[in-house]
Parts: sequence; C-alpha cells; structure tokens
Amino acid sequence: MLPTFGHIALVIGFAASLFAAWAFVIGGRSGDERALSSARRALYASFALAGLACGVMVFSLLTHDFSILYVARNNATTTPPFFSFISLWAALEGSVLFWTLLASGWAALVLHRYRSRHRLLMPWVGATLAAIDSFFFAVLVWPGNPFLRVTPVPAEGAGPNALLQNHPFMGLHPPLLYLGYTGLAVPFAFAVAALVTGRLDEGWLAVVRRWTMIPWIFLTLGITAGAWWSYEVLGWGGYWAWDPVENAALLPWLTATAFVHSSMVAERRGSLKAWTVSLVIATFTLTLVGTFLTRSGVVASVHSFTQSAIGPWFLGAIALALTAALSLLVWRLPQLTGTGRPTSLLSRESAFLLNNVLLCGLTFAVLFGTLLPLVVAATGGGTISVGAPWFNRVNVPIFGALLFLMGIGPALPWGRASWSSVRERFGVPVVAAVSAVVAAWALGMRGVGPLGTLGLAVFVGGIMLDELVRGARARSRYRGEDPATATWRLATRNRRRYGGYLVHFGVLVMAVAVAVSSGLASQTSATLRPGESVRLAGYVLTYDRLVVEPLAADPRVTEARAELTYGGSQEGRLATALRDYPNSTTAVATPSVRTALGEDLYVTLLAYDTATRTVTVRVFVNPLVVWIWVGGAIIGIGSTFAIWPERRRVPVEASEAERLPAREPAPSVEGA
Amino acid sequence: MRYLRWLLVPIVVVPLTLLLFHGFGRDPREIPSPLIGKPAPSFSLAALDGTRLTAAQLHGRPYVLNFWASWCIPGCVDEHPVLLEAERRYGADVQIVGVVYNDSPAAARTFLDRYGDGGWPQLSDEGGRLAVEYGVTGPPETYFVDATGIVRGKQFGPLTMAAMDDRFAALLAARAAQ
Amino acid sequence: MRRIALPIAAAALVALLALVLVNVVRPGQPPTRAQSAAAIAAELRCPDCQSLSVADSHTASAIEIRRQIDELLGSGSSSDAVRQHFVDRYGEWILLAPRSPVAWALPFGVVAAGVALLLIWLRPRTAADGGETVSAEAAESEQLRRVRDEAEALDA
Repeated sequence: MLPTFGHIALVIGFAASLFAAWAFVIGGRSGDERALSSARRALYASFALAGLACGVMVFSLLTHDFSILYVARNNATTTPPFFSFISLWAALEGSVLFWTLLASGWAALVLHRYRSRHRLLMPWVGATLAAIDSFFFAVLVWPGNPFLRVTPVPAEGAGPNALLQNHPFMGLHPPLLYLGYTGLAVPFAFAVAALVTGRLDEGWLAVVRRWTMIPWIFLTLGITAGAWWSYEVLGWGGYWAWDPVENAALLPWLTATAFVHSSMVAERRGSLKAWTVSLVIATFTLTLVGTFLTRSGVVASVHSFTQSAIGPWFLGAIALALTAALSLLVWRLPQLTGTGRPTSLLSRESAFLLNNVLLCGLTFAVLFGTLLPLVVAATGGGTISVGAPWFNRVNVPIFGALLFLMGIGPALPWGRASWSSVRERFGVPVVAAVSAVVAAWALGMRGVGPLGTLGLAVFVGGIMLDELVRGARARSRYRGEDPATATWRLATRNRRRYGGYLVHFGVLVMAVAVAVSSGLASQTSATLRPGESVRLAGYVLTYDRLVVEPLAADPRVTEARAELTYGGSQEGRLATALRDYPNSTTAVATPSVRTALGEDLYVTLLAYDTATRTVTVRVFVNPLVVWIWVGGAIIGIGSTFAIWPERRRVPVEASEAERLPAREPAPSVEGA
Repeated sequence: MRYLRWLLVPIVVVPLTLLLFHGFGRDPREIPSPLIGKPAPSFSLAALDGTRLTAAQLHGRPYVLNFWASWCIPGCVDEHPVLLEAERRYGADVQIVGVVYNDSPAAARTFLDRYGDGGWPQLSDEGGRLAVEYGVTGPPETYFVDATGIVRGKQFGPLTMAAMDDRFAALLAARAAQ
Repeated sequence: MRRIALPIAAAALVALLALVLVNVVRPGQPPTRAQSAAAIAAELRCPDCQSLSVADSHTASAIEIRRQIDELLGSGSSSDAVRQHFVDRYGEWILLAPRSPVAWALPFGVVAAGVALLLIWLRPRTAADGGETVSAEAAESEQLRRVRDEAEALDA
C-alpha cells in the first residue's frame, strides 16, 4: 500500500513540475500573474510530493519492508536504524529520489524568495528549474523506479553495501554533496532566464553570484567530507585517488570558482559577460556529466552504482540542456560582447583573468584525464588507465601557479598599477616565506613539495595579512578606532574581500596540509604474534590480542578485531578490524585512526590467522592530515562570511519599476 | 557569415554526446589480453588432490585454464554448470584445467563438493603467480590455449553456454586445421 | 621598513633558489633497489582493486606483483624492463599513467594557449596608452601612493 502511495506521489510530482514549467512559460510571455502563481504553487507541490515519496522510502527502510525491491537489496532486519535511514541515498534509485527532493527544494526556495522581485526574470528561472525537476521525476517514474515490488517477498534483505554501513560520515558526505550539485541548477536557471529575456545587466550578475556561492559552499564541504570519509573508511591511508567520480565532483567546483572570480571583473568592467555566462552553463553541464558518469557504468570507479537503464536518459538530458543553453548563448552573443577591457597587464583584473585561465586549465586536465580512457577505447586504441600519477604530475604545477597567483592578486589594485608600488608589498612576505622555509628545514622537514608549498603559503598569507593590517591601520587612524575594532569593522564592512581572504587562507592551510601529509608520510607493515611490537616514526605499537565475534550493532556481521596498545606522541589503545558482511565477497577493512594536531596514527588490519593468532597490520603516520579538514571548514566559514548580508543596509524590496534611476546599486546591495 | 557562430553548438554537443554514448554496452573493466597470439605461460603447480601438473604435459592438446574462487559469487557459481557441460561435450578433445585464485584449498574443495566436481585438475596457484603471468584481474576468467601452446582467446567474466560453444568449437577447428 | 625589506627579500630568495637548484641538478646517488621498486609499484595499477596502485594495495595480486618487481630488479632488469614485463601480461591498462607524450603535453598546452590568448587580449593597443603609464608613474609621489592605498582599503 505505502509503496504505491510513494509511486503515485512521484507520478503526480512529475505532472506538477511539468505543469509548472508550462505555466511559467505562459506567465513569462504574457505576464499573467495567475499563471505565475499557479506555476509557483505547482512547484511547491512537487517539492512536497518528493518529500512524501522520500518519507515513504525512509519509513519502508526503517520498518524493513522487503516487498520493495530497493529495500530488499539495500537493507536487512539487522541493519541499525541510522544506516537504514541513510540507505535512502546509498544506492541508485534512492539517490535519484534524494536528489529530486533537494532539487525541487531549491526550486521552491528560490521561487518563493523572489516571488515579488525580478519580475522579468523569475518566470524563466521557474520554467528552467521546473523543467529540470520534471526530468528527475520522469527518471523516477520510468527507468529508475525506487518503488518496484518484488515477489515473493524475501524474509531477509541483502543489507547495505558493506563499505557504506561502517561509518557515520555516510550520513554527511552525500547530503552536503547533493545540496551542492542540485543547487548549481539555480544559477544556471538565472543564466537561461537572463539570456531569454535579454536582461544581462550588472544586477543579474549579483544574483547569479550569490546563488552560485551558496551551493558552492555545500559542494566544497561535501567534497571535503568525501575525502575525510574515504580516508577514515577505505584503509589505504589516502584521501583522494583521482577516481572518476571524485573528479566529477571537482569539475563543477572548479568552473564555479572561476565564475566567482570572473564575475567580479564583469561587474567592475562590464566586460567578459559571454565568458561568465559560459562558465555558469559549463558548471551545470558538468554536474549532469558527473551524475551521468556515476550512474551509467561508462567508467569504472569505486563509486559506480550498478549499471542501469538510467544512463541513456541522463545522456539525453545532457545533450538537451547543453544544446538549449548554448543556443541561447549564441543567439544573444552580440549583446554580450563586452564594453571594456582591462588596459593593464598589472592589475587585479588581469590576475583574476589569469586565475580563470588556470582554473579552466585544471578543469580541462581533470576532464581530459577522466575521459581519456573512453576516448582511446572509442578510437580503437585498446584500454588504458589514467590514474593518480598522471593527475598529480599535471595538476600539482597548475595548483602551485594558482597558489602563487592567490598572493599576487590581492597585492594588485583594480586598474593600472605601478610596478614600484606593487613591488614594495612583496618585500616583507618574501622574507617571511624564506625564513619559514629555512626554519622548517632546520626542524627536519624535507622535500621540495612540502617546503615549497610552505614557502608559497607563507608568502601568500603574508600579503593577505599585510592588506588586513594596512587597511585596519588606515581605518583606525581616520576613524579613531582602536586596532581591534578597526579590524573587525573593516572586515565586516568589506565582507566580500575579507571573507575571500579567509577562504584563501583556508586554501593555504589545505595546500600545506596536503603537501606535508603526502610528502612526509611514513608507513610500514608487519606480521605480529601476540605481544610483539612494531615501530614507526616515534610510535611503538604492541599487538595484544585478536577477537573474532559478531558485531553488537548488527549480528550478521562477523568482526575480526586486532587490539593494540600504542605509545609515542600519542598514547592509548586502538582496535583495527576486518569485517565480514554477508553480502560482500571480501572482508572489509575498518582502519583505526588516532588523530592529533600534528599527525594521524593510522592502522589497517590486512590479514589474520585464528589458529596462530598472528595478524598482519599496516601502520601509517600521516602528518597534518587533520588540517585538511580544518582548512575545508575555514573555506566554508570564510565563504559564508563573504556572502552574509550586511546588517546596516536596509533591504531594498522595491520592484524594478520603482527603482530610483539615479542610484547605481553597489555590488553587495541587499537586493541580491 | 553571421550564422557561423551557431556552429559552436554542434561542435561542443556532438563529440561529447558521442563519446559518452560510446561507453554504453561496454564494460570498462573488461580489458583485452595482450597474450592472444603469443605462447601461453608455462607453469608447474600442485593440484588439490596432491598431484603435480605442468604446462609441458598439456602440450599437444588444446586446453582451457579457468581461474575461479569459492568467494566469487555469483559469477563462478553461475559458470560452474557451464563448465560441467563443456567437460561432457568436449572433454575428450579439450583439457579443462581449473586454477584456484586467491583462495584456500579447503574452501575450494567445499565449493566443488557443493556444485559438482567435474573431474578435471584443480590447481592451487600459491601466491597468485600464474594469475599475474596471465594478467588475470579477477575471477572468473578463462583462457583458451590451442594444441601448439598459443593463447587463442580470453573470456572475461562467467562463461555462458553460448560463449562456451563458440570458443570450444573454435579451438577444435584450429586443431583440425593443423 | 618596506624599502629595505625588498633588497633583502630579493637576496634571500635568490640564495634559496640557488640552493634548491644546486640540490636538484647535482647528480645525487642513484636510487636504491627499494626506492626503484617503490616507484614502479606506485605506477602500476592493482589488478583487482579500483584505481589503487600496487604500492597502496594489499591484495594477493598486489603482493605478488611487488614480489616480482623485487625479483626482476634483483636479477638486473631496468625499471623500464620491469614495467614492460607487466604490460606484456596485462596490457597498457596496468600502467596508471599513459606513456604517450601527447597525453602529458596537452593540458599544459591548453594552459599555455590560454595565457597567450590572455596576453594578446590585454596588450595595450595604442602608443598613447603606453605614454600615459610612464608619465603617471614618474609623477606619482610616495605620499600620493599611500593615500591611494588607504582610500582603497576603506573602499566598501
């Protein structure tokens, strides 16, 4: 009964979003307010219906309703409630259902928020978002039906995929990531609306930038959470393997970041509009391509959902969306060609443009590497692999150049700069960087990668700090404020700039942490009898005993647990295990990670012998890993600060017709 | 000339769509073997029953090396009846040899007791050396070697009835031609 | 302070870069067998994993491949010969990075092309533009520059 309700909810949701798209188009062309309000209501309804369907699925998972094929395949009576709940997104059809919930949620949010503003744009924004939603509802109704029944009803289910039920982060990573992915449809919809109506002024840019930044924050946190989850769960001691699906999440992030920077140039100069719009279109297309790669079985990946009929549907959607958006862009191209160009090579605009070149270069490299095996196979060249060695060797220099640029950019003013004034700003940061590198080398840090990254980071950080200090000093002198107040007021009056600096600082922290943790990690493996020890990087680990027993939380799972005592810069006991899940052919490693500020102690159980009680363990000491996650959090905080509306400005709720013509809106006005 | 810019749309959309479309129907994990047309690797391995078998002993008859494991579910389970049938039909002319991949002899014997022992030698590939020689990426994988010791074919994944007939017939046809 | 910082900075940077260059360019000791083995293992794909290298993996195949790498290096094979040994058995797929130089060069080529396009776009078009910059620089006094910087800092 209940699954039928769920299915019907999806069918009605499909009809509602389709109706909404049509009614928005009508309203957009005629201006008919009734068409628009019924379109909006249909959109809210589709969100509610998606919520209903999700509720049915979650309920079925929690009550282990094995009459539903999805539940029978991904759930078992012994599955703990938390993992039953998150099984909503653990497999293919459920993940699309969850996606649809979030996508329709963004659409409802945006259409509700701007129901009395941007009157010319919103019908077309609504039409685009509703069309996208109707596609996802259609996938759920036809090829990817999550409520398919199974007869006869099995007494027991297969349980969730082994890798997806041994860590709580499975509840964090997909929601954050999906919020990012689905949210990126919103700026795309605004871009389409702007192209359709021809309203491509600076007001449009501010809206699109805000609605790119919000999902961008989620995407950043989602990618960071994914890396953290994979580090804690997979047992190979690393956090990023340049797997096709990891790359799929990175690609729209790169183009969205490029957009955020180029939009600032477009805003100041009125130039680069076509380029900026292209970036928005590329970002959305890349989210669809990423979703396609994960679900079509076209590339082999750790993440691949099982191959299914959904693939061709997504490919069709990609082709359709890209054709429509590009056609609109080409149609409006004459109106988009810029009015001004930066006149000086030495200016912040040029730095932002170079940033774009590098970010798009990275996007090309990652896309090229991910698709190259497909290209080679398609042209009859056999099967090749493109993996971490290639990606690292290509991307690291480009990232390095970007890091360097992150330092130069803020040192340059808008407009023409004189080389002598710029040069002065580098003096102190360079001295600081060189000192830091020498100090680190003296303290034992080795390797060009870690030391070079540290030097770059101190250089960039120094320039940012210099900016902050000079601005605060100027402000405190002019306004008579004490330094602390001056600094705070400076930052909060210039949220975009100083939030941006905080984001850059987060990037620096991540960069140094990544460079040090990959360059200076140590590892060893050892086979131990009870009582024997292994030493690594100042730690001593003693193997105490092996325990083989069913898991308390889920008795169908047998856990072989090696308990060790460790000493060194951290002390205590840990247990690392291999778990045998009934639906997995090989045992799943559950590594033990002991995190400290300076380094992580990471232990994986490779093998065990119940007869002799010997175990083979692999031990890693990974320096500074926790700072990667901290860096990600700083990026999240910084970007939230950057887009947080400024309190003292009164929100301008006037419609376009009432806007005072004499006032030119400042870039960060509340109207966005 | 004004309309030249419209070319941008097909230039971007068509190659991308074709490329992604090409991936359908192909399993990205299936890789062609570089051994085809080359001499089969030699080996000297102990069977589960204790006897020893070398590649030299098999020379002169076509043989089939089937890499399998007891934990390889459902692939090896689905494939086993096909192999039993192949032994019935072609066993007189083609020697089937099983190689246990990354598994314990005890588990392998349990599998055979449960699903049927076809009577062909089951070799224990200690350490997985033969699997690396053949470039095996995971069970089930089957290699077809002709009477002169040249590798003629590779079956990635479980052997189906249809594939079985094709491949065994091809091996025998090659033999007859010599 | 800024005035003296600059020459010191330049000198320090040059010294550091010279040190790095000397270290990198100087023929160091040839890699040990263990280092070569680790390097090769990092470039080979683990056959029964998902996109992990042989160095990172602990499956039976990975262990056997590492053993074979050690054996081959021990009997005097070069790193290239060892890689080829595995390509002969698994195909090009076993290498985690394509050997073709085009695959390596293309991304850098794209970045270089982008930078070139950018420079062309930013190139000052008239002589008047160029002349203006020079005279502006010459005229700008220390005080004026500082005032401009501070005004910029207050720019909301």
